[in-house]
Amino acid sequence: MSNSMDDVAQKAEAFFVIGSNTTEQHPVFGTMLRRAVRFRGAKLIVADPRRIDLCDFATLHLRHKPGADIALLNGLMYILLDKGWEDKDFIAERTEGFDEFKATIMEYPPTLVSEITGVPINQLYEAAEIMAASKPMAVIWAMGITQHITGVRNVMTLANLQMLLGNMGVPGGGVNPLRGQNNVQGACDMGGLPNVFPGYQPVTSLEAIAKFGTAWGLQVEGSKVEIENAEANLQPATFQLSNRVGMTATEIIPGVLEGKTHALYILGEDPVMSDPDTHHVRDCLEKVDFLVLQEIFPSETAAYADVLLPGVSFAEKTGTFTNTERRVQMVRQAVEPPGDAKPDWWITAEIARRILAGTPGLPSLNGPFAGWDYPDTSAIMGEINALTPSYGGITHARLEAGERLQWPCPTSEHGGTPVLHVGKFARGLGKFTPIDHIPPAEEPSDDYPMVMSTGRVLYHWHGGQMTRRAKGLMQVYGEALIEINPEDGARLGLNGQTRVRVTSRRGSIEAQAWVTDRVPPGMVYANFHFPEASANELTQAILDPVAKIPEYKVTAVKVELTN
Amino acid sequence: MTNKKITYKPIDPEIKELVRHHGQTGEAALEVLKDLDAENRLTPATITDTARALRLPAHRVYGMATFYSMLSFEERKNILRVCDGPVCWLKRASEQSLVSSVLSAVGDNWTVERSSCLGLCDRAPAVLVNDEQAGPVTGEDAPKICEGWRGVPTDYSQPRPGEVRVMMANADKIAPDSIESAVEYGAYSGLKSALQKKQEEVLDIVEASGLQGRGGAGFPVGRKWKFVAGAKGSPKYMVCNADESEPLIFKDRVLIDTNPHQLLEGIAIGGYACGATEAWIYIRGEYEYQARLLERAILQAEAMGFLGANILGTGFSFKIHVHRGAGAYICGEETALIESLEGKRGEPRLRPPYPPSYGFRGKPTAVNNVESFAAAPHILKNGADWWKSLSNYTTPGTKMYMVLGHVKNPGLFEAPFGLTLRQIIEDFGGGMQEGSTFQFALCGGAAGTIVNGSLLDVPIDYASSQKGISLGAGAFLVCDQTVSPVAFLRELLHFFAVESCGKCTPCRVGTWRSAEILTRMAIGMGQPGDMAELQALSDNMLLASFCGLGQSVPIPMNSAMKNFAAAFEKAES
Amino acid sequence: MPINITLNGKKIEAQPGQTILEVARGHDVRIPTLCYHKDLSPTGNCRMCVVDVKGSRFLQAACVTQVSDGMEIETDSPKAVASRKLTLGLMLANHSPSCVTCDISGECELQDLAYEYQVDAPVWGMKGTRYPVDSDPNPFVRVDFNKCILCRRCVAACAEIQARDVWGVAKRGFEEIIVAGAGATMLEARCESCGQCVAYCPTGALSNKLSYGQGIARARQVTRVATTCAYCGVGCQFDLLVKHGKVISVASNPDAPVNGMALCVKGRYGYDYIHHPDRLKKPRVRRYLLEYKEKRLKGNAWDWIETDWDTALDLTAKKLREARDNFGPDSVGVLTSAKCLNEENYLMNKLARQVIGTNNIDHCARL
Repeated sequence: MSNSMDDVAQKAEAFFVIGSNTTEQHPVFGTMLRRAVRFRGAKLIVADPRRIDLCDFATLHLRHKPGADIALLNGLMYILLDKGWEDKDFIAERTEGFDEFKATIMEYPPTLVSEITGVPINQLYEAAEIMAASKPMAVIWAMGITQHITGVRNVMTLANLQMLLGNMGVPGGGVNPLRGQNNVQGACDMGGLPNVFPGYQPVTSLEAIAKFGTAWGLQVEGSKVEIENAEANLQPATFQLSNRVGMTATEIIPGVLEGKTHALYILGEDPVMSDPDTHHVRDCLEKVDFLVLQEIFPSETAAYADVLLPGVSFAEKTGTFTNTERRVQMVRQAVEPPGDAKPDWWITAEIARRILAGTPGLPSLNGPFAGWDYPDTSAIMGEINALTPSYGGITHARLEAGERLQWPCPTSEHGGTPVLHVGKFARGLGKFTPIDHIPPAEEPSDDYPMVMSTGRVLYHWHGGQMTRRAKGLMQVYGEALIEINPEDGARLGLNGQTRVRVTSRRGSIEAQAWVTDRVPPGMVYANFHFPEASANELTQAILDPVAKIPEYKVTAVKVELTN
Repeated sequence: MTNKKITYKPIDPEIKELVRHHGQTGEAALEVLKDLDAENRLTPATITDTARALRLPAHRVYGMATFYSMLSFEERKNILRVCDGPVCWLKRASEQSLVSSVLSAVGDNWTVERSSCLGLCDRAPAVLVNDEQAGPVTGEDAPKICEGWRGVPTDYSQPRPGEVRVMMANADKIAPDSIESAVEYGAYSGLKSALQKKQEEVLDIVEASGLQGRGGAGFPVGRKWKFVAGAKGSPKYMVCNADESEPLIFKDRVLIDTNPHQLLEGIAIGGYACGATEAWIYIRGEYEYQARLLERAILQAEAMGFLGANILGTGFSFKIHVHRGAGAYICGEETALIESLEGKRGEPRLRPPYPPSYGFRGKPTAVNNVESFAAAPHILKNGADWWKSLSNYTTPGTKMYMVLGHVKNPGLFEAPFGLTLRQIIEDFGGGMQEGSTFQFALCGGAAGTIVNGSLLDVPIDYASSQKGISLGAGAFLVCDQTVSPVAFLRELLHFFAVESCGKCTPCRVGTWRSAEILTRMAIGMGQPGDMAELQALSDNMLLASFCGLGQSVPIPMNSAMKNFAAAFEKAES
Repeated sequence: MPINITLNGKKIEAQPGQTILEVARGHDVRIPTLCYHKDLSPTGNCRMCVVDVKGSRFLQAACVTQVSDGMEIETDSPKAVASRKLTLGLMLANHSPSCVTCDISGECELQDLAYEYQVDAPVWGMKGTRYPVDSDPNPFVRVDFNKCILCRRCVAACAEIQARDVWGVAKRGFEEIIVAGAGATMLEARCESCGQCVAYCPTGALSNKLSYGQGIARARQVTRVATTCAYCGVGCQFDLLVKHGKVISVASNPDAPVNGMALCVKGRYGYDYIHHPDRLKKPRVRRYLLEYKEKRLKGNAWDWIETDWDTALDLTAKKLREARDNFGPDSVGVLTSAKCLNEENYLMNKLARQVIGTNNIDHCARL
């Protein structure tokens, strides 16, 4: 998030929530939005194919078709430009590329947009009016925007909108993606990505390679390019940092069948539940040479693991999480790990140490942070401080002293940064990018006439390993439910609690139908919390070309009654 | 996401239609509930649908449905509401139990309910037969109720000796349903006179007249109207408090019965003076007859150009609505009334802010009693000095009085201020009944003082409560030697316990506990310490209650225990 | 412009618009409260905070009465104290009398005040129960209206913190009762089971079902550990309540930077997986790794064998090293975890890049 949650909730005059079921996926932030609407009179526009709970509070609900986000946004920007409601000063002073962008937008008049999106023209005008009249407006989104083949384009279109309205770099405005997992922000910050070192220092940057190579005691001189065909390179590794962008999770696993991936080290993830096209994922995991899984439960993925290492839950270790607004907070050990389970940082360090120790002919690694002897996570944080500028001043000691720190926090004197992009963008001028609508990869057909969208529900979390083991949560939501509109329900002859079979080109699941007008006619909504009916049996592994995010939100399916 | 067990169910189309009919806002909730109740359709399911259609939380509508005593989840074909008020209790005491005689008389198609007080004290013992007011009901009449017997309303066409009639003038000549007859006897000439003046002049005249609010507190009407006129915020609203739910009080009903246009005219004058555009008459649900009378009168007045758009060509537009309550004494408290008007439980609001600055819909609002409004046309017509001249006493104008109980001629009369209780009994009530000697009187209303003979000669006005005898809304219930002060106080506390809104602890539990103790004492089961506990409960209600209801319960409690200490002491042991 | 008031005989300055309670708390003068909570709109219902204001016939509720210039306030006058005692008695008369078996005995605000003012339940008080105990089927919230003092904090918490409007007030007078929706169950009334009402309830009327009977309020037996939630990215903080080495409950921590007292159903009630019997307690390897040379997916070769750490770690290190050395560093994929610590993610990044030599590291950010 460019702004912090409190800033947005307290200062925004309006919220534009698109592709975020905030009250179920980020419930406490969702209630902040509800309060802002109820007690502060903030305007709320919800754009979502589903009538999510937040719609109860919405000034306006734009119920656009799944995958029509760009058309919708371009259509709104057409009206804003047509009426002269854009922030001309902001555009002139802080952005570039406006003319080219405008030319593209002018190809999205309301009639066309209404046709593509299914949103009535008057609602488009109403939304544009609210946006023009209520500033600052905060744009809030989550996976509903990103899990499309156009995920990156969707995000850039939202950035276009906020620049057009001059809502960037101001309190109560900004672009605010809500991060899903508790520490997905931190995992990204810490270099858990194929293209960057910690602190988003590119792996392709010689400067960064030199920095980390030196710190970690590797040869720096003449960092050589990896050989394209890994299998041809049978020599022991030369202990150099790779300067080639690696594969994403959605490429690593399918890489097994392509002969690229031979071993997998998975920490606390459950690809069988969370990755698209489960059948294919199972196939890959079955065929990989070696899979080590570090987990707290025997997950669905554990069935394919060669080694299963017992890690610990958040209650059994001390360290930090970074939330969606870049706030770094302490996690504190409350209880001892069960049995022989060990903190995950200890396990990782042991594996690293043992790989290094078992590598013949390895020269001793000389560098300030070459070693793997960590007494505790505070020491690890010290290493992070030294190598990650945005985390430079975030220490356990400061957090324990009660300081509230949001990165960037480069030094021990720095107080953290609640709002990004104040005054100027990270890249200088904000760039308008002309972006056209592209339909989803899989559209309804005669054989698969309905659209399925996937996501989570309030009472469960992701693959469900934790929440399916929480007694009360299971009492409230104990099995997979397929949300289906009453019209479709009537057409299928659904009556009360009825099981349905949902089939896509890749697979089929059976579950209880939940007849509800939360979903529009022609659409079903399924979750992936329950292995016996996981939506990912049906989804396809077609990815956004840049971010490699799968298009979870649009899958063509057919729905039938089971006998 | 909610519990999966909730199956999809669209809002009942009939309820959707009902909600649309009543205006689609939260303020319509009570109307919708009353309609559903009338069709025996009040259930948690229909309440939930009503809430969905009104976009309100279900608990809010359910909270209302269970708050107002006229609404019920029971299936009722015909409803016979038997008055439980102290005046009817007095009458019943001598004529055996009305309820049992009624119960034995009515068939399966009838539901008999107890009602706190029906506002028919001059027809005691009284009942409400569906919407129709009936009484006095004797044992012989009861069986005839199902066949259409309603008794005879008290006739107020002729003044009693000594009355000074202003608001009741021409009661013998005006046909309540005929605006022509009202106009013939001067209706709307006060409004005409007001509209020819500037707003400020009207305010000055009302202030100069010294008219004090007739609800019981006696707050100067002119000053209140000036607050509203000068308050920031628009639009501004007038609200007429016709909730009249306090036992002993029925003057507003008689004023409406005899001359509805007088009230409408007064509200319009107030609206003009305050700069308001709309008014609501909040009338208690038991006064359905009067509500309809007012609605017809409003239509007539609008047709004649006295109300509605561009009144009498002056450019002043003013709309009056009638809003029915559904059984709640607390709604006579002005902020509770406003809450109720807004479609909520009738619970009093925090004050300040007061309604003149923050009232209905959060806008400046003048809330006045029926009688206060009814006086306004006469003041505008005849001037402030004339109004002052009506009363030789400190308080100007005339007042509606109600004299009840063991007097020869109970009923209502209009007279100046400063009467003594003796005058009220002897001169207007015709003296004590044969065989009755004065023991005590409840003065003002249910929340008034219970006085013994020592105060018979104190002139009564809004300030006389300092001397121990209150004017309140002007009612005097006279009891003879046969009535136990302990049992009488029990009746009052029973009323307050049933009618406490429940918001604050001292009143919610205090009234209930006091009633419990008094119930025991009245049947000879008192215990040592009862009086001390009653006194402590009473003190705490006075000191710590949230609103005027709780604060006023101690008035009859304390005066009864002080003036009839011996009777209470006897009941204690 | 500040105004001058006298508080318990001391002349002090106050700001117009401040309530008596705010001014008093600002000057360390304690006024007891029950229905008041700083996070919620004051209602003035319970009348515990009544104080004596010179010139007023009535005591004034400090939580809702604004100070005015020249106001003279006595917070503990005999009149005010007597009133509080009586009001407390009225509450206790309608409150389940059995503190010893109450789940929140020790944290109960009513109990604290009854003790402070030395008020016992009146002898005429509730005998038996007026309402069914544990009357709502909600799996998380235990409802016992016999302990309810009708302060309505639950109603305000639901409306103002959660903005959900499940709880309301029904009936009136002595019959008044808190109600979910149209006399429905909490879940039917669209409850999200966030537990805000429990967190704000001053008595044991609303308590936690999952930890009921475990003595979460017995401070001597329970340790509180402030930590950060492991579910979504909002980053709520709360206290884990630990007794005998087990997490027995989650409690709001009012100092939490992001969420204050608020939590969601998963954060507050989704903790029992921590001690679930399915938890992995020992390293496991497939039998084939110990007994065969080659990977066998079928039969007992694929059975799990529990081992010590050295065995499992050495095997793992060997296999990863072999892949790296035989097929190149990019033949190893590392999936780090968005559920794990920053420090752990850093180590996974370091392992992939320094030890293996690959950038094939990712996590479920996209999923």
